[in-house]
Amino acid sequence: MRRRAAVVIARHRIWALLVGILVVMAAIAPNFATTGNFASILRASATHLPAAVGLTLVMIAGHLDLSFGSGMSWAGMVAIGLQPRLGWPGAVAVALTSGALLGLANGALVTRARVNSFIATLGTLTVVQGMVNIASKGGTLAVQDYAAGDWLEGALLGILCPRVVLCLLVAAAAALLGRTRPGRNLLLVGANPTTAWYAGIGTAGYVTAAFALSGVLAAAGGALFAMSVSSANPLMGESSLMVVIAAVIIGGTSMQGGRGSVVQTVVAVVALVSLTNGLSCMGARPETQLLASGFVLGASVLYDARLVRAVAARKGRRPELMLDDWPGKEGTR
Amino acid sequence: MTSRAAAAPVALALAAALFAGCGERTARKRSQQPTSQASVDVSTLKSEDGQPLVIVDESPLVPPTRPADPKALPEDDALHWFDIEYAGWKCRKVNQPRPPAGGARGKRVICLRFMDHPYLTAYTKGMQKVADACGISLKTMVANNDINLQSQQVDQAINERPDLVIILPVDATAVVPLLRKMNQAGIPVIASNLIPIDEGMKYILTWTGPNDWGQFRMLARDFAERMNYDGGYCIVRHMPGSSPFFSRTFAITTELKKIAPKMKCLDMQATKLQAEPTMQVVADWITRFGARLKGIVSADDSGAQIGINEAVAGANREDIIRVAAGNSKVGMDFVKAGTLHAITYQSAEADGALPMKLAVDWLNGKPIEKPVYYLPKRIITRANVDRYMPAQW
Repeated sequence: MRRRAAVVIARHRIWALLVGILVVMAAIAPNFATTGNFASILRASATHLPAAVGLTLVMIAGHLDLSFGSGMSWAGMVAIGLQPRLGWPGAVAVALTSGALLGLANGALVTRARVNSFIATLGTLTVVQGMVNIASKGGTLAVQDYAAGDWLEGALLGILCPRVVLCLLVAAAAALLGRTRPGRNLLLVGANPTTAWYAGIGTAGYVTAAFALSGVLAAAGGALFAMSVSSANPLMGESSLMVVIAAVIIGGTSMQGGRGSVVQTVVAVVALVSLTNGLSCMGARPETQLLASGFVLGASVLYDARLVRAVAARKGRRPELMLDDWPGKEGTR
Repeated sequence: MTSRAAAAPVALALAAALFAGCGERTARKRSQQPTSQASVDVSTLKSEDGQPLVIVDESPLVPPTRPADPKALPEDDALHWFDIEYAGWKCRKVNQPRPPAGGARGKRVICLRFMDHPYLTAYTKGMQKVADACGISLKTMVANNDINLQSQQVDQAINERPDLVIILPVDATAVVPLLRKMNQAGIPVIASNLIPIDEGMKYILTWTGPNDWGQFRMLARDFAERMNYDGGYCIVRHMPGSSPFFSRTFAITTELKKIAPKMKCLDMQATKLQAEPTMQVVADWITRFGARLKGIVSADDSGAQIGINEAVAGANREDIIRVAAGNSKVGMDFVKAGTLHAITYQSAEADGALPMKLAVDWLNGKPIEKPVYYLPKRIITRANVDRYMPAQW
């Protein structure tokens, strides 16, 4: 019975982490458990969500995308910079297209030029950040039209606002993708590219598509945030880097590929933002918030490593026990 | 074993949270000590350097005539920067709330700081001194120079419904929607230290801080005299997006164009105010410009100035005239040693004390009369540096 409970907790540990943080913070952090603050947590999470979903897809495909932060900044700059001439629909469309092009460039570097994804996306990160600095001249772009921002941040359903709903819809769509054939193929490409290739799956196409989706999603997050604050700062996306990578790893996505869950990434983003928000309610400084996030990340990585070791030790002996050990055995959900 | 492992992150986070929460609670407890507002005269409070804590430049605000389109003018024309330099001087305030009843004592003020820095630690110390003296509860949030984080903290502040917010913007432009949001939520706001662009000034009660444009024009005159009104110079800039990014660059270039047309700006770069990148940039300048480089202006007299001095010493170019925004211990030690020739006087504690003093006045029902309150302008050189010792940060 006890073992069963432990397995259930292990399998749903991201949810347990979120509930634990919410309960503890509600008990000790002043003004944490209020409707306004939960709305604030969701708004803050929404900024990171699209990029986190995109990175999850890339990591499931067995690669890494470090360029999403500068992609967010660039998309924000494009959306704000072009809004006076093209209006919001045109400006956002161009921002999303530029995100897709960035993703396709990453995909081509990884699949065609055979550059390691860490190196390739580090390079595109630097190039795009340079473009952002040139376009902004080191300053901030702004628009005087607050209507779109007011709508995106306005109350919709209780603690939800349109920007949060849009980001959750994007995450839901990505999660549903995991239940389709392309989603399952992506898992196989990440887990074992050779087998995937023998099975007739175009591995290069899947990897490129994952990068392209990551680029579009990061651009969507950046453009939406820029619209909501009616301005774009050249360093805007930098702050998402740590939160997004931490959330994807805490969410159980494997660095080796082939395993991950969009839903768990979403929960991990909300958990991390709740943690830093609760600490902020208590008056903690950013360094303390970073420290606490680091502890959560470290504990998650250690826990995952223990699971991997346990599975490896039982391989070939008691296969039924392996099933109990893998919390993410269902693959992409 | 499994459940223990799952509980570990939460336990660690909890421990960190408890550890982090201590400081704020102590500050709150201190500020709740009974103090009679009527008996407190904050003008008697002193900064760590022995200077008066609450100081203000009483000069009237008389801007020149605004050009039809300042942006159409070249960047080395002072009027190009009209909307930044004179931000808020002539704005009409909108939707300003009225002071709550019952006076300042026991009221809650939230300070949203843009980053952690020794200057801002001293700034908060000055603010806390006035808050303690007047029975105000002060809570500080730090945005780590991240506009996303400051945006979240504004939401948190609105959620907590304090009696007043003092904000030090991360970004002069991006802060405007945040000021508007607090204004619409009926929260009185005083902006401080870094000035928002003109568009944001109508949403706040007032702005307080150093007169960066005025100080740097004063510094430019001192710099020109030391350079014999001739030669090339470079500028180490402040953080991109912040108001000093513009003021500490273009107050110098526009003033020097006017008073020393033979002086030429060779290059300007932002180095995150850190020693290592600044050293690299300055070393490159020395190599690139050689003897043409005769002076360096720095937006910071601590981290950035360390880098400048290291590069200058490394290249054996001690002849380069150096001036900076001050006045940290590092900067004042450099001034005493003669490796930095002039710095601006900017009392960090007074910078933090002034908005809190105005907040107390406003909470006590006293109207805030000016849209902008500047700290006095002074230049520190080797001749007068001892007057400002010991340093505040």
